[in-house]
Amino acid sequence: MTETTELQRALSISGASCQGCAKKIRNALEPLTGDTELVEVNLEEQTVALPEGVDLEEAARRVTDAGYPAEPVKEANEQPASCCAGKAKAEASDGHTHQDHSGHQAEKPDEVAPEAPAGGDQVSLSVSGATCASCVNTIEKAMMSVSGVTHAHMNLADNTATATGDADPQALVKAIESAGYGASVIENADAADERKQAEDRRQYRSLLIKMAVSLSLGLGLMIWGMGFGSMMVTEANQTTWLGLGVLTLIVMAATGGHFYTGAWKAFRHHNANMDTLIAVGTGTAWLYSIVVASVPELLPEMARHVYFEASAMIIGLINLGQALELRAKGKTSEAVRRLLDLRAKTARVIRDGQEQDIPVEEVRKGDRVRVRPGEKIPVDGVIREGSSRVDESMLTGEPMPVSKAEGDEISAGTLNTHGSIIYEATRVGSETALAQIIRLVKKAQGSKPAIGRLADKISSVFVPTVMIIAVFSALVWYNVGPEPAVVHMMVAATTVLIIACPCALGLATPMSVMVGVGKAAEYGALIRQGDALQTAGKLDLVILDKTGTITEGHPAVTRVYSANGDESRLLALAAGLEQHSEHPLAEAILAKARDEAIEPEKVSGFEAINGKGVRGELDGQTVRLGNRRWLEDEGLTLNSLSDAADTITDEAGTPLYLTLGDEVLGVIGVADAIKPDSKAAIKRLHDAGIKVMMVTGDVEATARAIASKAGIDDYRAEVLPEDKAEVVSEMRGKGYTVAMVGDGINDAPALAAADVGFAIGTGTDVAIESAAITLMRGSLHGVPDAIEISRATVKNIHQNLFGAFIYNSLGIPVAAGLLYPLWGILMNPILAGAAMSLSSVTVVSNANRLRLFRTSHNPERNEHKEQN
Amino acid sequence: MDTFLVNAGGIVLMAAIVWWFWLSDSGSTASDEHQHH
Repeated sequence: MTETTELQRALSISGASCQGCAKKIRNALEPLTGDTELVEVNLEEQTVALPEGVDLEEAARRVTDAGYPAEPVKEANEQPASCCAGKAKAEASDGHTHQDHSGHQAEKPDEVAPEAPAGGDQVSLSVSGATCASCVNTIEKAMMSVSGVTHAHMNLADNTATATGDADPQALVKAIESAGYGASVIENADAADERKQAEDRRQYRSLLIKMAVSLSLGLGLMIWGMGFGSMMVTEANQTTWLGLGVLTLIVMAATGGHFYTGAWKAFRHHNANMDTLIAVGTGTAWLYSIVVASVPELLPEMARHVYFEASAMIIGLINLGQALELRAKGKTSEAVRRLLDLRAKTARVIRDGQEQDIPVEEVRKGDRVRVRPGEKIPVDGVIREGSSRVDESMLTGEPMPVSKAEGDEISAGTLNTHGSIIYEATRVGSETALAQIIRLVKKAQGSKPAIGRLADKISSVFVPTVMIIAVFSALVWYNVGPEPAVVHMMVAATTVLIIACPCALGLATPMSVMVGVGKAAEYGALIRQGDALQTAGKLDLVILDKTGTITEGHPAVTRVYSANGDESRLLALAAGLEQHSEHPLAEAILAKARDEAIEPEKVSGFEAINGKGVRGELDGQTVRLGNRRWLEDEGLTLNSLSDAADTITDEAGTPLYLTLGDEVLGVIGVADAIKPDSKAAIKRLHDAGIKVMMVTGDVEATARAIASKAGIDDYRAEVLPEDKAEVVSEMRGKGYTVAMVGDGINDAPALAAADVGFAIGTGTDVAIESAAITLMRGSLHGVPDAIEISRATVKNIHQNLFGAFIYNSLGIPVAAGLLYPLWGILMNPILAGAAMSLSSVTVVSNANRLRLFRTSHNPERNEHKEQN
Repeated sequence: MDTFLVNAGGIVLMAAIVWWFWLSDSGSTASDEHQHH
């Protein structure tokens, strides 16, 4: 943010890769700024900084029109740090004991949205006819050309497109249709899913039928040619071949019509895609053959060979490949389908004292719903009667059913395993946690990490380049090849066109991302962006927040030392003060008083001093409960309690001193227990070669004790919540790729500052914008799980891209006839068609292999899953 | 003559591909990405 912090307004851009791009952007903005020098383009961070007073929306539109999708970002002087100042969490800390007595912690997560996307509404469209990365480019371009669109994204894996901005949905549909593809607005996502599944099934059947027809003709021609004559045109068989040529044309149009129309539409828009290659390849073979069959005397006798069977068989094989690909694509979205299947169909609602089963869509907020043992929870709500154990594994990945009693929240899609409960519906329909999770997973599955954008760039030039190679190799065969030169040049050109496979390049990334994001969701890790999936694999430093991340986050009183031996009075006074507070430390002290049946003293004039402690009045004297530094600043001497305080800090607890007037009454130790699996999770991070660091507001001694118990390499103590982001930036500055793990509210600035932010322990609360990855399970194991899945996914993408690259760079020269001078081998175009189909099926199948991936953790969890 | 015609035709075809997909201004995918490099 070097430049954006100096200037007032900023845009985030994509696709700018060189100084030429920067110049183009500056020129596009000149009418707004009056001077190109006032615009700073940061190519590394893909941001544009603008002087104050510039209309950001207009600037984004101009940069977008110049070919670089742009959208406004928050003002540089509104860094997330400011939005959360004062929302300091309950660090059980000597240094910051009571930062939050003002009640900020009661704020809801959704009130904090430091990363809220700018740029307006989103329109989702279902797109048909897109087959490769070139199609993606064309469609995104077409959408960007519609006025009001600030960002456009096409997902080839599930054939949906999303436009951000205030564009007219129908204009978007028209733009995509005029680019040569089909499009419709998705209004009801559920209905669209069902429609898409039905459409996929129909298309699969249709492709298989087309495959059967064209392969039958191709094979028939081949057998007839070889068995009863030859593929050479003679005077005797000329009429027959002419008739067969017409028949082939009819079959090509019927079974491969979509390739020709697709190619034509792309061509009209100066685009080329996989359809272009197939259409030109099979078209060339057919045209040559029909010329041979119609006027054979135009060509030398040796060259009077027909290739009708090749055209038919290539179309048949590619249809087969597309059918297999469609089938495999369906499997990659299994994770979402499994989530969709979690939804209950009906709910037993109690209205006017009557229980009735109604469709889940008709449940309203405030309805009372009965759930019997073994039933799914239909909507989100709060238990009003009864208690039970609820299996939340399907949402959070948490294997053990969780006890739920009156007042506890339960989520739609989870399973009531034990008792009968009545609960009040609080969130219904698209507001439920399950619906939000489904939306998030789908969105992340459609996002494209940087590596995918590189593949898109390559494939946008791929098809025209292949066409040039085809023409060039034809010329080489004509000039220096053996006779019949015309046949050889035609075969070489056709084979080059057919063997080249841009679809493998286009599919490599989205397929793996789709499976990877789904797999992460299975483990309770919700990934927001494709970029996070890629970056998580490169992490070499994980910074952990302490409270609620490494520890349980529920402090409890561990020791009570009274200077005069009267521990009950000490607790009564402390509880009297803390009963006015909502701080977790206060809860710990009140809970202890309740357990010991101690009545809190009546303390008046309560005041919380942020980061220091609390004070009040009792019988005209000031009562203070807080950290050592604050009380010493107030002129009190605490030396008599040093030993007791040391014992508390050695046990990783926080000492809170209580004073009345000038008298020091005692010290209370409050500690937050380390989660049972934190140490194992940290060990997994170490095993993965990742350094682990802790940041906490605690004093040095407490931090040291926790770090040593949990096996953490390094720690920073006495760090204010708002300074955590600085620690993250500092470590990034040292060259680390940093993950920050914390809660989504108080740690929002630090999460946003990290390369990857993990929000942890949020249960089914998924409305956290600040983290790239949300862990629904409280366990720290979610971090190594997400990292392992990320590494596996990126490896899978690399394999796919490498495979596609090797396939094309070996296949094309062989098809062009490079092996002919050595061994006399010239590839048959039919074989090229088979190889091409196989390559895209291989990419999709390799991505599907990721579905079998298991993380290194917790074998019993996997067994548990299988039992379900 | 045939040789000349075939070669000239091939070269014209390659030039046409470059022109149509890269150089002509129509919002082509490839052109915007690369014309400035």
